[in-house]
Amino acid sequence: MDISRRKFLQIGAVASGSVVCAGVKPASARDLREPNPEWLGMLNDTTRCIGCKACQVACKKENKLPMESTLNESANVGRDVYDAPRGLSERTYTLIKMQQDEENGKTTFVKTQCMHCSEPACASACIVGALKKQDNGAVAYDSGLCMGCRYCMVACPFNVPQFEWQNAIPSIKKCTLCRETKLKEGKPTACSSVCPAGAISFGKRSDLIKLARKRIEKDPELYQDHIYGEKEVGGTGVLYLARPKMQFASLGLPAFKYRTVAGLTESIQHRIFQYFIPPIAVYSVLGGIMYRNQSRKKNGGEEGGSHE
Amino acid sequence: MNKAAPLQHNFFTPNVWLLIFFMGSGAVFAFFRFFYGFGSVTNLNAAYPFGIWIAFDVACGVALAAGGFTTAAIVEIFGRDKYHALVRPAILTAFIGYFLVGLAVFFDLGKYYNIWHALVYWNGTSVLFEVAWCVMLYLTVLGIENIPAVVEQFKGKVNLPGQLASFNKPSEWLLGKADNILNRTMAFFVIAGVVLSFGHQSSLGTMMLIAPYKLHDLWYTPLSPLLFLTSAVSVGLPMVIFEASLATVLFKRKPETELLADIAKYIPLFLGTYLLLRIGDLAYRGVLAQAFDGSVQGNSFLVEFALFAVPYFMLKRRKIRRDALKLFLCAFSVILGVVLNRFNVFLIGMDMGPEFNYFPSVGEFAVTFAFLAFGVFLYRLGVNYLPILEEQ
Repeated sequence: MDISRRKFLQIGAVASGSVVCAGVKPASARDLREPNPEWLGMLNDTTRCIGCKACQVACKKENKLPMESTLNESANVGRDVYDAPRGLSERTYTLIKMQQDEENGKTTFVKTQCMHCSEPACASACIVGALKKQDNGAVAYDSGLCMGCRYCMVACPFNVPQFEWQNAIPSIKKCTLCRETKLKEGKPTACSSVCPAGAISFGKRSDLIKLARKRIEKDPELYQDHIYGEKEVGGTGVLYLARPKMQFASLGLPAFKYRTVAGLTESIQHRIFQYFIPPIAVYSVLGGIMYRNQSRKKNGGEEGGSHE
Repeated sequence: MNKAAPLQHNFFTPNVWLLIFFMGSGAVFAFFRFFYGFGSVTNLNAAYPFGIWIAFDVACGVALAAGGFTTAAIVEIFGRDKYHALVRPAILTAFIGYFLVGLAVFFDLGKYYNIWHALVYWNGTSVLFEVAWCVMLYLTVLGIENIPAVVEQFKGKVNLPGQLASFNKPSEWLLGKADNILNRTMAFFVIAGVVLSFGHQSSLGTMMLIAPYKLHDLWYTPLSPLLFLTSAVSVGLPMVIFEASLATVLFKRKPETELLADIAKYIPLFLGTYLLLRIGDLAYRGVLAQAFDGSVQGNSFLVEFALFAVPYFMLKRRKIRRDALKLFLCAFSVILGVVLNRFNVFLIGMDMGPEFNYFPSVGEFAVTFAFLAFGVFLYRLGVNYLPILEEQ
């Protein structure tokens, strides 16, 4: 193939032009956002929870979720289970788990549900943006946009998003913070409104942090001086309090770092595609090498560069 | 330089019927997946939402199709024309490989009918978004790079039967036009193919970095994109050698040992770069000790590393490169190394705790084998009816 210099430059210009056009808007750099004080959330006080599971029932009712059988759990547990499900699922958005501390043997009831992170890894990962942090603080899922790739499930450090494995047309299922139901009516979430022990407080995240601080200050004997979720993974919408000398990790709340989970992937993506400079640079270098070899071949009549 | 020509063998050999059997059994399981949900076929669960359809069909599929862009770069960009015979088969395999990757993604998506959303609804922070665009564009480029073979075979010879004869002229016109345009613009597509490959090969390495608390330290590194890219470049030529060796045996062709031995000299260069980066990264992060802690992940890493390191030292020696069997085994070792590496990153290294586990079901294996068989079937079809392999 013979390419004249002029033709080559033409091709090059078209090439870089179309790469830019076909290309992607570079992912904008994202500074660590301060959690918005207006965001709504919940405070789960594990010292108060009595494990009655009224919140589970309320959640099922509110979201019209079908019941779940645990009769097949014997295969996993080694004995029959006639109890609540053992983990979140596409039919269970919230769950009370009894956790036992390995060291002191004390048991604690811990509520699990979507944490409604300030910097949700699921939302960063979602290829089509079907998961988004809303202005009211809920991390909302749009099943119409979703392609069902399940990358959000990989991304979530709390393993919250669940997939409808039994459906021919499956969606992701998770706690909605009652965004479409209770919040629209200006009411608190279903789970928090039924709790008889006052273990679930609903409100603005900033107020909840103040409330938690107050409880810790007032009763340092009862509370550990740490609000889980205030800083973990860049902040979560659902916060936790625990008894002293209790590892949060033993409550199923791992000691995550105080930075956003998606920080690394986002900065790599950002650097690679910043104004498309790296791809265009690679393109130009390769083009230059190709042009040099082609013209050398034409002029010298020899195989370009085949002499090592 | 010899001319490439279609093999024109009898197509339906017993081997081809075997391929059709595999494709058929995969289709049965695919039926249940599409109409009764993933639960009816797969062992996927909340902790392991990605199974072998992603780890093998997509991650390995993309890596093993790297023969296309590496060969194209060596021959067309760096001007090593003597390896010209290897380009067409490599480009055809890459095209088939990426086509199958796209198909596998379609099978793996819960809402497969929304696959086009990736084009319309953009989320720039998502690594998958970048992968999807690059794979799609590269598949297009590969399609274009394969057109010359079609033009060469049919230009001036279009002779459709019966009623279709009226389409002879327009087809000829189309082929002539394509020939004309591509002659002038192929350089653009060749370079674009390499750049796009750089993009998504590395982005696949970024993908699992979204899960810092799940992926094992041996694989969770900011260098992962670079490691994925260099390992993909390393496996490009071994794939070409692997396929050429198999084609020699299965199509009863004259062995191309000399040519393959010659191009194999580049492999240690690529492998060496990869191994240096890999070891340097592990040492710098101070996690090398975890490789020897006897855990599943540690052992899996050691096997992975050996599969890369052994062929590196072997292929540095000219005598081994000249031995068709040893060259084939070395190439196969690199391929297995890359496959195990992708499995380690996407499945084995994802440490979800003792209460979760995943092992692919019979149905998942069947569908994966069906994709493999379909790939071989398409390759067979391509080399039989298009001028891909050189005349001997």
